[in-house]
Amino acid sequence: MNRSIDLKVQSLFMSPAALVAAGIILPPLCYVLITSFQGDTGPLSAYKLIVESSLFRQTLATTLGVASISSVLSLILGYIVALHLARQHPNRRTVLMVLILLPFWTSILVKCFAFTIILGRHGIINNLLSWASGFDVQLPLVLNRVGLFVGMTNFLVPLVVLPVLASLLAIDSTLYRAASVMGAKPARMFWTVTVPLSVPGVVAGLLSVFVMSLGAFVIPALLGGPQDQMLSNLVDFYNRQVLDWPKASAISVILLALASIFIVPMALWRRRKI
Amino acid sequence: MHGRNASNGEAIALRGISKAFGSVTVLKDTELTVNKSEFLTLLGPSGSGKTTLLNLISGAIAPSSGEILLAGRDITRMPPRERGIGMVFQNYALMPHMTVFENVAYPLRARREPSEAIRRKVLDALDRVGLNGFDDRKPRQLSGGQQQRVGIARCIVYSPAIIMMDEPLGALDKNLREQMQTEIKRLHHELGTTIIYVTHDQEEALNMSDRICLMKNGEIAQLGTPDELYFRPNSRFVAEFIGESNLLPGKSIAANSVAIDEAEAVIAPSSERGLGSDVLVMVRPEKMHICAPDADPPAGHNVLRGVVEAISFIGGMTRITVKTAHGVSVTAKIISGPACTRPELGSAAKLSWSPTESVVLNG
Amino acid sequence: MANSVLDPLSRRYRFVGSSLATVVYIFLLAPVVVTIPMAFGPTNALEFPPSTYSLDLFRILFTSDSWLLPLYTSLKVAIFSTCAALFVGLPSAYWIARYEFLGKLLISGVLISPLVIPAIVSGLGIYLYFAYIRIGGTTLSLVLGHVMVTLPYVIVMIIAGVQKLDRNLEFGAELMGANPIRMFFTVVIPELVPSLISAAFFAFLLSFDEVIISWFLTGSDTVTLPVKMYSALEWEVSPVIAAVSALLTALSLLACIVTIGLRKSSGEEVS
Ligand SMILES: Nc1ncnc2c1ncn2[C@@H]1O[C@H](COP(=O)(O)OP(=O)(O)OP(=O)(O)O)[C@@H](O)[C@H]1O
Ligand SMILES: [Mg+2]
Repeated sequence: MNRSIDLKVQSLFMSPAALVAAGIILPPLCYVLITSFQGDTGPLSAYKLIVESSLFRQTLATTLGVASISSVLSLILGYIVALHLARQHPNRRTVLMVLILLPFWTSILVKCFAFTIILGRHGIINNLLSWASGFDVQLPLVLNRVGLFVGMTNFLVPLVVLPVLASLLAIDSTLYRAASVMGAKPARMFWTVTVPLSVPGVVAGLLSVFVMSLGAFVIPALLGGPQDQMLSNLVDFYNRQVLDWPKASAISVILLALASIFIVPMALWRRRKI
Repeated sequence: MHGRNASNGEAIALRGISKAFGSVTVLKDTELTVNKSEFLTLLGPSGSGKTTLLNLISGAIAPSSGEILLAGRDITRMPPRERGIGMVFQNYALMPHMTVFENVAYPLRARREPSEAIRRKVLDALDRVGLNGFDDRKPRQLSGGQQQRVGIARCIVYSPAIIMMDEPLGALDKNLREQMQTEIKRLHHELGTTIIYVTHDQEEALNMSDRICLMKNGEIAQLGTPDELYFRPNSRFVAEFIGESNLLPGKSIAANSVAIDEAEAVIAPSSERGLGSDVLVMVRPEKMHICAPDADPPAGHNVLRGVVEAISFIGGMTRITVKTAHGVSVTAKIISGPACTRPELGSAAKLSWSPTESVVLNG
Repeated sequence: MANSVLDPLSRRYRFVGSSLATVVYIFLLAPVVVTIPMAFGPTNALEFPPSTYSLDLFRILFTSDSWLLPLYTSLKVAIFSTCAALFVGLPSAYWIARYEFLGKLLISGVLISPLVIPAIVSGLGIYLYFAYIRIGGTTLSLVLGHVMVTLPYVIVMIIAGVQKLDRNLEFGAELMGANPIRMFFTVVIPELVPSLISAAFFAFLLSFDEVIISWFLTGSDTVTLPVKMYSALEWEVSPVIAAVSALLTALSLLACIVTIGLRKSSGEEVS
């Protein structure tokens, strides 16, 4: 409705938020941007040094690779779960949702700790395998790529399930009845009805998961090996070990720019749905 | 309020009010005056702008142009809470977290009245709507009809100058709706408040209103008493929207006569339309007389001949449709009698009506 | 009913689907479940399943200052930042949900942005910013940083809550003479209670579990529990972490149950 808004009331309702936006949310971004241009030998020197360093290039490649693969893995696992949840009776679904929401609400540190126990050299998996095979199995499952993917996927799956489930539940169930009356077999129904109509959820889930994984920090630090560090860890490295803030900021700006490529379509996609 | 202001019995006046959402005009330049103590109904098809008109008066939306005068005072830019208008909503809009008492007390508390006065007025208002002893209940413990009574009590408790009701009975079933109509009429009579009522049920409008404002596409199609709208519609739209009607296409051939089907000259009330222009002669079915082809219709009646095409018995009335030689179907509605008194399907019949019962409309 | 005539083919698909889903459920839950028995294990070794059971790890957690102080800091920060986020988020979310105004897209975009901006970027920025205005390392800086992280969630959840409210209720109250403030307190807030409770729970948990921003903001005497846990995991994996994990998991479980309970009770009211 476009009734004339009382400006006094509006400022009362919006000013705390405006204060937070202008005083807490925006300045850090500005500081990162400004600092990134304060390299030792000219405004762009930090960027130049970073882009030329092989450490950065390698980390960038790792970041993109890990983010893509773990997004796809989590999409596959998430889709399986969403499909299963969508087929349950609503009451049963509410109960099963706990199985998704509990991991979703669980601290990432708890998960990382648990995976070091599960995947460690003397961890649960290796113990089980040793017991089953009779040999002393010590597969390296953590502090390497494997551990990183396991941790990332575990963290991301609930984030995929929620949007995909929403779009699966939005499918009109009479469509399935119509398709089956017309003689479609289950597999055909899946590919011609379920999959196309869940695309909005899949796109939304995939985009958000990919953006999330671009910025991953804790999981690569705790479950990945030295070769598996991502851009966030590189920022922390320059900030804490090297104490080179222009470089740390420059990497942050590049990371943010990279994420924005996906954030913008994500925002547009969301608006379109509304 | 006490007749000393210049507005002279005007409760509310809309002067050149219009409303556009973006490029879509949903209410065109509208003039409307509602008198004090009047029961005015806004009637019209869905999307005709009834709710928009109410929202403009209540202040829920601001007009694109024009001004609104409440008892002679310009309230166009006044916030809703200062207008002193009451509103009853179709979905009741009662506060679910408050008891019936608290709901009805809400406007009084907002006005910081003393608690003794609040108690007295609330109980009195609940008494008036027949909800004695319901004050401790929560709205969801009440039936739809009872909830709407709370909605009405919540309005009358602070004696607003105008009460607006947007399809207040829309969610109720038919019997309850009729009972509530009677009660709202009684309250209107007792309290003498100005009421602006929205409905798209024409019977409700005819039954309750002092005047009806029939809307079409964001414009007032006709404003008048129920009688005027029913017997003197000013357009085909009004004639068709309210009640049933026969619309006979013809040509104006003299100051007071119209040729129907280019054959039979029919005397109709005089109109200012030019000779030879296309017109419609409107006759209400219950004003049509039907008789056997050899009988004589009452003197001075217009007559059409034809063949009985359909007969439908709908209880107290029977509807008989006759097709004239030129293919126009005309319906007569007569008081039902035993089957033997009705003409037979396919038999010839004569239809007649008094010229004073017909209206000439633009074709 | 639709599911009474299942042909064998679709029954087979269903079986495969359920089995796969079960595997994924186990994968998701395993890390959550594993920590619980470990928390009751011995103090000198990390093994699964533990060889002996005791409450020793919890005793260490609740008696040694090196764990108790971070726990206390985290609680304090979480409570303050939750209150602040609600205080800021409630009125602004209501206004954003209800009205169109100049700059709405801009301000809501900025408020929501921490949701998608990589935390390391916000963390580094807020570290540089707070160092500049000289509040780095204080509890205040942690609270402000956590408000930045929790506010978008609070706003999104409250907007969703407001959109479910009947607008006529608010307009009716204003028409009956209530001013906007009175209307807000007597109509909107009581109606929003379920959304507010779940938003508060979520904000509290988010702040209590927050690692990255805190990693940049903690001073030597304002170490939060997650930061303590993170450094412990990075350097020496101490068995006490199992007890901390169990504690955090219990908290998540509580939040999870409350959310579902609220959703269910409000869902029942609708139908
Ligand atoms: N906020 C809005 N934005 C754009 N168009 C609107 C808005 N509100 C109403 N309209 C349009 O204005 C026209 C009139 O709407 P209004 O609600 O006044 O009709 P109504 O006569 O009350 O109909 P009904 O009997 O269905 O309640 C409709 O075509 C509607 O689509
Ligand atoms: Mg309407």
